[in-house]
Amino acid sequence: MKKSILLLIAIVMLSMGSYAQNSCADAIPITAGIHTITQVDGMEIPLPICANNGNGAEYGEWYSYTPTEDYSVTITTEVPNSPVVDTRFHVYIGVCGALVCFSGDDDSGNGLTSTATFNVAQGTTYIIAFDDRWSSAGFNFNLIENIPIENPIEFSTQAIDIMGITGCVVDMNNDQLDDIVSVESNMLRINFQQANAEFVTWDYDHPTVDETPYWSIAAGDFDNNGFCDLLYAGGGATIMMANEDGTAYTEISPGEWIFCQRSNTIDINNDGILDAFVCHDVEPNVYYLHDGEGGFTYYQGGLGDTSDGGNYGSVWVDYDNDCDMDLFIAKCRGGDSDANINQMHRNNGDGTFTEVGETIGLADNIQTWSSAWADYDNDGDMDVLIGASSNTNGSSKLMLNNGNGTFVDITEGSGWDFYTSNSIEWAPGDFNNDGYVDVLGAGKFMLNNGDLTFSQAVAPASSGAIGDLNNDGFLDIVANQLYLNNGNDNNHIKIHLKGNDSNADGIGARITVTSALGTQIRDVRSGEGFSKMSSLTAHFGLGIDTEVQRIDICWPSGMTDVIENPEINTTLVVVEGTFHVGITEANSVENAFDVYPNPASAELYIGSSIDFNKGIATIYDMEGRMVKQTQIENGQINIQELNAGVYVLSISIRGNTYQEKFLKN
Amino acid sequence: MLTLILAVGSCRKEEDIIDPVPVIPESSDVRFDLNEVPYAKLSDYKFFLGEITELNPNERVLPYDVITPLFADYAKKKKFIWMPEGSSASYASDSEILNFPEGTVMIKSFFYDHVLPNDSRKYLETRLIYLKNGEWKFADYIWNEEQTEAYFNLDGAEVPVEWLENGTDNKNVNFRIPAESECFTCHKSNDLAMPIGPKPQNLNRDFEYDEGSMNQLQKWIEYGYLENTLPANIITVVDWQDASQNLTDRVRAYVDINCAHCHRQNSHCSYRDLRFAYSETTDMHNLGVCMEPAEDLGAALTYVVAAGNIERSVMHYRMNTTNPAQRMPLLGRTMIHNEAITLFEEWINSLNPPCP
Repeated sequence: MKKSILLLIAIVMLSMGSYAQNSCADAIPITAGIHTITQVDGMEIPLPICANNGNGAEYGEWYSYTPTEDYSVTITTEVPNSPVVDTRFHVYIGVCGALVCFSGDDDSGNGLTSTATFNVAQGTTYIIAFDDRWSSAGFNFNLIENIPIENPIEFSTQAIDIMGITGCVVDMNNDQLDDIVSVESNMLRINFQQANAEFVTWDYDHPTVDETPYWSIAAGDFDNNGFCDLLYAGGGATIMMANEDGTAYTEISPGEWIFCQRSNTIDINNDGILDAFVCHDVEPNVYYLHDGEGGFTYYQGGLGDTSDGGNYGSVWVDYDNDCDMDLFIAKCRGGDSDANINQMHRNNGDGTFTEVGETIGLADNIQTWSSAWADYDNDGDMDVLIGASSNTNGSSKLMLNNGNGTFVDITEGSGWDFYTSNSIEWAPGDFNNDGYVDVLGAGKFMLNNGDLTFSQAVAPASSGAIGDLNNDGFLDIVANQLYLNNGNDNNHIKIHLKGNDSNADGIGARITVTSALGTQIRDVRSGEGFSKMSSLTAHFGLGIDTEVQRIDICWPSGMTDVIENPEINTTLVVVEGTFHVGITEANSVENAFDVYPNPASAELYIGSSIDFNKGIATIYDMEGRMVKQTQIENGQINIQELNAGVYVLSISIRGNTYQEKFLKN
Repeated sequence: MLTLILAVGSCRKEEDIIDPVPVIPESSDVRFDLNEVPYAKLSDYKFFLGEITELNPNERVLPYDVITPLFADYAKKKKFIWMPEGSSASYASDSEILNFPEGTVMIKSFFYDHVLPNDSRKYLETRLIYLKNGEWKFADYIWNEEQTEAYFNLDGAEVPVEWLENGTDNKNVNFRIPAESECFTCHKSNDLAMPIGPKPQNLNRDFEYDEGSMNQLQKWIEYGYLENTLPANIITVVDWQDASQNLTDRVRAYVDINCAHCHRQNSHCSYRDLRFAYSETTDMHNLGVCMEPAEDLGAALTYVVAAGNIERSVMHYRMNTTNPAQRMPLLGRTMIHNEAITLFEEWINSLNPPCP
C-alpha cells in the first residue's frame, strides 16, 4: 500500500515538476546567470502588464528571484550566442494573485529583445514573468547583479481605467485633487481622485460629438460655475460644458472647419470669461470669444496671421512681467517657407496684440511643435526651452530672458547642446521638488541643476499629462498608464486659484513664491506641450526650505493678493481678493529708499542703504492695480513700457516690504 | 454666341426658369479669360458640351489620366487639360511637372458611381488649377444635388455619399471637399503652388481616346500640347495594381502619388527624413525601411517600415487607421484603402533582413 502511494506521489511530483515555471505559484527560484526557456507555453498569462504593448499574450514563463544583497539588477534577453527573439517580460513584487508591477520591458534590447535594469532589496522576492506577446520561441535570458544605482527620479506604475483619447489631467470637480479625463466620441470618462489616492470612475454617455480631441485637449471653467469644462480640438472645436453640479456635460460645437493643432482656454479680451484659442495648421489662427453662457463667436486673425499657418504649439505666458498673458507660438513647416518662424504676440493690455518675435530674439525657424516656458534660474522672469520636433533647422534651444523681455541663446554649455532628441511634446515641471523647474521631453527629464545647466535622467514615458495624482506634492505623469512619482524628502506647496472678477480657475494669473532658496514664478496655463492638458493647480518644489515667506498673486483682473508665511506641504486655495493688501495698508516701511530720476522714462534707479538686489519689485497704479512685477537687478528697474502716470513701487525682500511713489513720463 | 444662348432660353416660360440647366452648344469655344477667372459657375467655362454631366469635352479640352492615381476615398476622377491656342508645354525632367504655358488649366472632376438610393452617378466637385502670371491658382466648383451645375466655392465642405463599390460593397463616406488652404498644403513646392499629376513619369501610358488608344505623351505632342523634346527613355512609375511588377516598385508608385506631395524635398513636411518621390525612393531608407519614427505613436511601432514585421511598422499603422491625427495621408482621405493595405502587407512581409 505504502509503496504504491509513494510511487503515485512520485509520478505526480514528476508531472508537477514538468509544469514548474508555468504559473506564478510554480515560479522557479533563480539566481544570477544565464537561463534557458525552451518555449513560452505556461498556462498562466502574466498580469498585470508591466511593459509596453498591452494585451495579446497567451502564455507565460514564471521565475522568482530573492537577492541576498541590495543590487542593481539587469534582466536581458539579449545574450551573446543566443537566438534573437522578440521577447517581453514583467517584474513584480507582491504575492501571486496580488502582483504589483515593479519593472519590465519589451523592446529596449537590439532586435526587439528585452532589457531592464532596476534596484532590488535584499530579502525581497521578485517575480519575473516572460510572455509570448510577440513570439513563443525559446531564448536565453541573463540576470545580472550590479552595485545599486540611484535614479534621480523614480516612478511606480499604476494601471488606470482610461480609454480613447487620453492626455488630460485636471481637477474637474473643484475638490483640489487632479482627476484623469479620457474621451471617446460618445463618452467622456473621468477618474476622480479621492482623498485616499484611489480613483472613482464616472462615465458620461452622450450623443456622438462633432469633434473629438484628436489633435489637442484643453480644460477650463468656461462658465465660471465651479466645474471644469473641456475644449476638444479635432477638425474643428467642440466644447463640453459641465452642468451646475458636474453630473452631465453638454456639447457646444460652433461648426467652423479648423485644421486644429494646440488649443488653449484663455481670457483673450479680459472680461473675466474664458475664451477658446485654437492654432490653425494651414491658415491664420482662430479663436472663439465666449459670452459666459455658451455663446462662442468665431474670429480668425490678429493672433498669428501667417497666411498658410505653420502654427503648432501655442502657449500663453507673461513673458514681459506686466501681468497680462502674451501668446507664444511654436511653429513648424517644410520647404522654403517663413511659416516656421516662431512668434510672440505681446498683449498690449487693450485687447490688441503685437507680434514682437524679431524684436525680442525669439523669431527662430527651428522646427518646433511645443516649447517649455518656465523661470529656469528663478530670477523672476520667464525663460523658454524651445523643443525641436526635427533638427533640420537646429536642435532644442534654451533661451534666457534678459529681464526686460528680450532673450539670449544660452544652449551652449547648458546640457541642451547634447540633448538633441526630438519630440512634439516638451513640458516644464519641477519633478524632484528642488525648487528648480525641469523639462520632460523625448522620453527623458532634463533635470535643472540650479545653475542653468541640465542633466538627463530617464523618464517613465516619452510625454504625458502632468499633475499630482496621489496628492503627495510630487508631479506624476499620465500616459497610457499612471506613473506615480516616488518622491523624496523635499518640501512643496501647491496653490489652487479661485477667481472672482477673473475667470474661476485664475488662468492667466502670475504666482510668485518667495522662500530661502529664492523666488519662483508660475503662470496658470491651460494647455501646454502640444496636445496635453496638465493640472491647473500651481506646483512649487521647495527643496529643503521649511517655510515660505510670501506668495504674491497677480490676477488677470489686475487684483493682487499677498499671502505671508503660508503653510507648506499642502494645497493653498486662494480666492481672488481675499488676501488683497492695499497700497496704503501693508506692513510697509516708507522713506527707506529714493528713486531717481523722478520723473523717470526708461530706467528707475533705487538709492538706499538697504541692498535691494534680488528683491521683488511690484508696481501699482493709482487704482491699486498691479502693472508690473520684476526682480531688481543692479539696483534698477526698467519701466519703459508703463504709461505715463503716478505709481507706487513696492519692494519686498527678506520678509519686509518698502514703498515709494514715483512719476513716469 | 449670344443668339444661341437666347435660342435655348426662349423656349421656356419666365416663371419656369429657376435654375436653368446649361446646355452648351457644340459650336461654343472654351471661355477662359485670365483677367476674369475664376468664374462663378463651371458651365461658364464651356469646358464641356451638351449636358454638363456627360463631361463631353469641348474642342481642345483633352482628357488624360495618370498611371497610379491618388486614393480619394474611392472617388473616381476624370481629368482634362486645356491650353490657350498656339501654346504648348515642354519637358523638364521625368519626375517634374512639365513646363506649362500661361493660361494652362487642368480640370479634375470627382464622382462616385452606383450612388444610393438610385444607383446613379453623383458628381461632387470639379477642381481647377490654372497658370496666371506665372503662378498656379486654385478654383473649386461644388456640384448641386440636381447635378445640373457646379458653383465656385473654396471654403471647403462635406458631402455624405453612400454607394455600392464595384456595384456590390455598400460603403459610405463624408467626403471632404477641400478649402483653398488644404489645396495649397499638398499642391506646392517651396511655398509655390503647383500641380502634382502631370509629370512624364505619370503620363507615360496609353489612354483610350475617342480616336483610339495611344500613348499620352505622343498624343500631347501630336495635339500640339507638348514640344517634341522627350528623351528616348522615360523613368516611368508602374501601375500599383500590376501584379507582374516588382512589389517595391508598386509601393514606390503608390507612395509617390499618395504621400510625396508632403514627404519629399521642399514639401510641407520635408523636415521629416522620409523622401517618397519616385525619383527619391531608389534608396530604400528614403522609403522608411528601418528608419526610426520621428513621432512617438507608442513603443510597439519601432520603425517606419519594420522589415518583415507589419505589426511594428508605422507606415502600415498609419495607412490602416482612420484617426484623423494619425492617418496618412493626413489630407485627402478619410477611409482606409484596403487594396493598398494588401499590397503593403505583402511588400513589408517580403523585406529581408529584419531591422537591427
